[in-house]
Amino acid sequence: MAGTGSSTKVVRTTKIDAALLGKMIYYLKLTREAESRIENVLYRQGKIVGGVYVGRGQEAIGVGAALTMRAGDVTFPCHRDFSVFLIRGFTLADMMANWLARGDSPTRGRENTLHIGNVDLGIFPIISPLGATLPVACGAAMVLKRRGKGNVALVHFGEGTTSLGHVHEAMNFAAVQKLPVIFICNNNQFAYSTPVEKQYAVESLAVRGPAYGMPGESVDGTDVLAVFGAVERGNARARAGKGPTFLECVTLRMTGHSAHDAAEYVPEKMKQTWAKKDPIQRLEKLILDKKILSRKQIEELEGKVREEVDAAIADAEARPLPPGKEAIEGVYCDTECWWSKKRL
Amino acid sequence: MSTNVIMPQMGESIAEGTITKWMKKVGERVDRDEPLFEISTDKVDAEIPSPAAGLLTQILVKENETVAVNTVVAVIDGEGSAVAVPAATEPKPETAHQGPIHAAPQAAAHIPPPAAPTASEQIETGEDDVRTSPLVRRIARENNVDLGQVKGTGLGGRVNKKDILDFIEQRGPGTPVAPSAPAPAIAPTPSPVSFTGASQAVPMTPMRKQIAEHMVASLRTSAHVYTVVEAEMTRVVAARDRFKEEFERRHGIKLTFTSFFVRACVEAIKESPIINSSVDGTNIIYRRDVNIGIAVALENGLIVPVIKRADEKNFLGVARAVQDLADRARTKRLSVDDVQGGTFTITNPGSFGGLFGLPIINQPQVAIMGVGAIEKRPVVRDDAIAIRHMVYLSVSYDHRVIDGATAEKFMGRVKKILENWDEAVL
Amino acid sequence: MPLLTYLEAIRQGLWEEMERDPSVFVIGEDIGVYGGAFKVTAGMLEEFGEDRVIDTPISESAIVGAAIGAALMGMRPVVEMQFMDFIACGFDQIVNMAAKLHYRWGPAVPMVIRGPSGAGVHGGPYHSQSNEMWFVHTPGLKVVAPASAYDAKGLIKSAIRDNNPVIFYEHKFLYRRIKEDVPDQDYVVPIGKAVVRRPGTDISVITYGAMVWTALEAASELEKEGLTLEVVDLRSLLPYDEETVLASTRKCSKVILLHEDTRTGGMGGELAAVIAEKAFEALDGPIVRVTAPDTPVPFAPPLEEYFLPNTQKVMEAARRLAAY
Ligand SMILES: Cc1ncc(C[n+]2csc(CCOP(=O)(O)OP(=O)(O)O)c2C)c(N)n1
Ligand SMILES: [Mg+2]
Repeated sequence: MAGTGSSTKVVRTTKIDAALLGKMIYYLKLTREAESRIENVLYRQGKIVGGVYVGRGQEAIGVGAALTMRAGDVTFPCHRDFSVFLIRGFTLADMMANWLARGDSPTRGRENTLHIGNVDLGIFPIISPLGATLPVACGAAMVLKRRGKGNVALVHFGEGTTSLGHVHEAMNFAAVQKLPVIFICNNNQFAYSTPVEKQYAVESLAVRGPAYGMPGESVDGTDVLAVFGAVERGNARARAGKGPTFLECVTLRMTGHSAHDAAEYVPEKMKQTWAKKDPIQRLEKLILDKKILSRKQIEELEGKVREEVDAAIADAEARPLPPGKEAIEGVYCDTECWWSKKRL
Repeated sequence: MSTNVIMPQMGESIAEGTITKWMKKVGERVDRDEPLFEISTDKVDAEIPSPAAGLLTQILVKENETVAVNTVVAVIDGEGSAVAVPAATEPKPETAHQGPIHAAPQAAAHIPPPAAPTASEQIETGEDDVRTSPLVRRIARENNVDLGQVKGTGLGGRVNKKDILDFIEQRGPGTPVAPSAPAPAIAPTPSPVSFTGASQAVPMTPMRKQIAEHMVASLRTSAHVYTVVEAEMTRVVAARDRFKEEFERRHGIKLTFTSFFVRACVEAIKESPIINSSVDGTNIIYRRDVNIGIAVALENGLIVPVIKRADEKNFLGVARAVQDLADRARTKRLSVDDVQGGTFTITNPGSFGGLFGLPIINQPQVAIMGVGAIEKRPVVRDDAIAIRHMVYLSVSYDHRVIDGATAEKFMGRVKKILENWDEAVL
Repeated sequence: MPLLTYLEAIRQGLWEEMERDPSVFVIGEDIGVYGGAFKVTAGMLEEFGEDRVIDTPISESAIVGAAIGAALMGMRPVVEMQFMDFIACGFDQIVNMAAKLHYRWGPAVPMVIRGPSGAGVHGGPYHSQSNEMWFVHTPGLKVVAPASAYDAKGLIKSAIRDNNPVIFYEHKFLYRRIKEDVPDQDYVVPIGKAVVRRPGTDISVITYGAMVWTALEAASELEKEGLTLEVVDLRSLLPYDEETVLASTRKCSKVILLHEDTRTGGMGGELAAVIAEKAFEALDGPIVRVTAPDTPVPFAPPLEEYFLPNTQKVMEAARRLAAY
């Protein structure tokens, strides 16, 4: 099993900012609700087709990281980081429309799952072949460094992805060039059916950082404040021109690899242990304990989240599917490019 | 507004799912997203939420039944709450995709109607004087044909394989073939008999011998009985006139009356299956497929190529087969398979002027229809004399298995189909 | 004969080869405990053990490279790609290492890389590709793409017994949709031999993979109109069966080249060239391609439907070509 905190000591952020916590709990709940509709309702109704991957159990990683971002920062979320898209500016209705393969959606029906990007928002999505975004994040960081405004590039990936050659090349490249990149590994302890002991032979992935000449830190990925704090530390170094950081956020994937996988290979006991560490419940408890929100206010928030998701799905479902012939448009980018024309 | 509930596709390669449990009964109300049934597939078991709110009016797939993904498993009569996928904003002639997203794109229901060919799919037509193909040029070279003389029936008047073979066939023997040219594909017909005395013995060709044997054997085998009906051809003639040109232009097919007779016989046979049988000892062998033989006169004999499974073909298919077989019969390119397996034969003495003929049954079949000449005749209509296209149709049938009443019923049906020819059949 | 799905036929072929030859082993991601993303290798770990059913990290380059190393040492590895799209991550090892080893200095490289390819399941741009031509353009490799369960079993066996690297394209749309009688004894289908799936005289449709079924459907529809299509299933793309391609061309005089892969640089272009070179004077019409357009595979069902060749598109092309 993945260990935590082996190479660097975990520093818990002490400053508790009520507004920040409010945002955190809102995005955590919104992400959970939206993803469970996708996985358990829309997919099963045949309204969403193809593959469905969600991030149940690891929402705190996307939320914690994206909330550290400033204007001009860029992010490369992975296939389970739904929250990052919302926090960085996509509307929920647009996200749902994309899942539903609608023509009037960010990818106009060309792409599925979270393969959604927007250069203006600084969101660069993955391609399915794992790990390919890490070198690309280095390229973006080269530009950020040259611009000299102290911006950073965040790149997310699973622990299974660390086995790809891309990852080695990118981490070495970033360290040598002192690039402002934060490598955020969400260690959810499984890569499809493969447990960590069949994926790597170190005790904690945090050692990968020092191996390339950058700090490596391992944090509890179900603790949104811990994630937030660790990313902030990496950001501070990067913004100051001191180069990249590697961060491992440990959690458990609380769902199948995809919606058609029952994850029978995950030991029952492990599921039960980690269910107790649910990132949303943890933060909720903290918020109640600190009396930042009352139980009633949290219930109101949940009602609002459900309504938002209902409305987004209704909005998305009302949009048309793309006409078939659009399949052959916009393969190349030129002045007449279809993408630059106004949407229908 | 009613909503179809489908078997979802849970996994990329999953083709089917089993309903393990219905959680609602017919007549019960169900809310949108409320669990409706449970499924089990090769990959996963899952509870399926209802796609809409309303009354469950039909359950189409029972528990423990396995169906293909996208099969409609139930119907919910909604309160207008179901959201149908709005049609794509596509300009008219293209398909608008409606209804829930379907997950098996290669299923028949998915196939959009043929779109106009895109530029890259359009077939180029050549620009040279005679539009033709490398194959036709080769045949022309080998048979010393001036392609300028050949009428093209292909796209844009192109000379195609069929055209040149027809041309060579019609040109007949005697057209000079370059001495050094390879042997022509079509053998010249034998020269006429030259007399040395009052009579001259000429051995029968193998084909002649076969015909002779078959005819005598058939008369020995079957109990031949004959009947003749007269049919008015007004509608058929009109239909042929109307579509002749279009068939030629669109399909390269010369529309003949034979195709009409084939279609009529096929339809009539469906109602009198005994016509499509044969005799084996004391058994009657009924044939599933209707394979219609067409007697084609050759210079020195006769051959009967067969339209296989004519009952599965529409009119265009029959017309294409008739033309193809006749062409290949005349150019001697029929295969053994082409002349076997007939279950009923049509012969056409009328094409040589015969009013009607009484043909001999083509063994082991049990009936053969003869088509007389189609000509205008005075007939009585509404107590007045009218001029109409008429034809005599004779049938020779084997009384061992077919009685008079059956034969008359069959011919009555053929007559009726021809007289009431429905253009929809085209 | 037992009725097997296309997927089960592959499994049976692999299984029998594992039993027959101890140098055969399988290696890939999630193939052991889980039995593979599509369950092709289900049950093999229990039967053959961890030494011969090897679960790996997500490292396509290392997997392919390691298989090459094992092959050089006398083993016959069978690599599973979870999706053929991800073969790109092992590309260098395949095209620069495996493909050229024998030519450069003589060793045999008996290995197979197999996995699901093809669209029709709304997999989007990265779970739908038909990327066989990347490898058809690489001398030293062999490339096969069975359409039937019978061929899938016979070809996986041939591929394993071959002394060269063979890329084995399975079509995921067929995995559980095709069921056939498959003999449960040992038999092989030779690499490099096409088969005429349906004889005909008017137009020869030359194709492979899932499109074979599309061609057959079009052929039986057009039969009703009196047009007879001959359907040639290539089965192997490198080397391909030139003889059968030319014979069918000469018989029908008109040819449609059908593939799910995109148009430019597709198998159709290669076949068109060889037909034009060697059977020019047998042609009574232009060589026609029915293929996907030159775009990535889109996700939304209407887009994917537009992208993919289907029965209707083949019938339209055949009617136009017949009238030519
Ligand atoms: C190069 C490559 N190989 C295989 C796959 C198939 N695949 C998709 S997700 C996945 C597991 C990824 O594990 P991890 O990186 O830990 O991310 P997680 O899904 O656990 O979040 C695999 C093997 C892929 N997408 N890309
Ligand atoms: Mg993981």
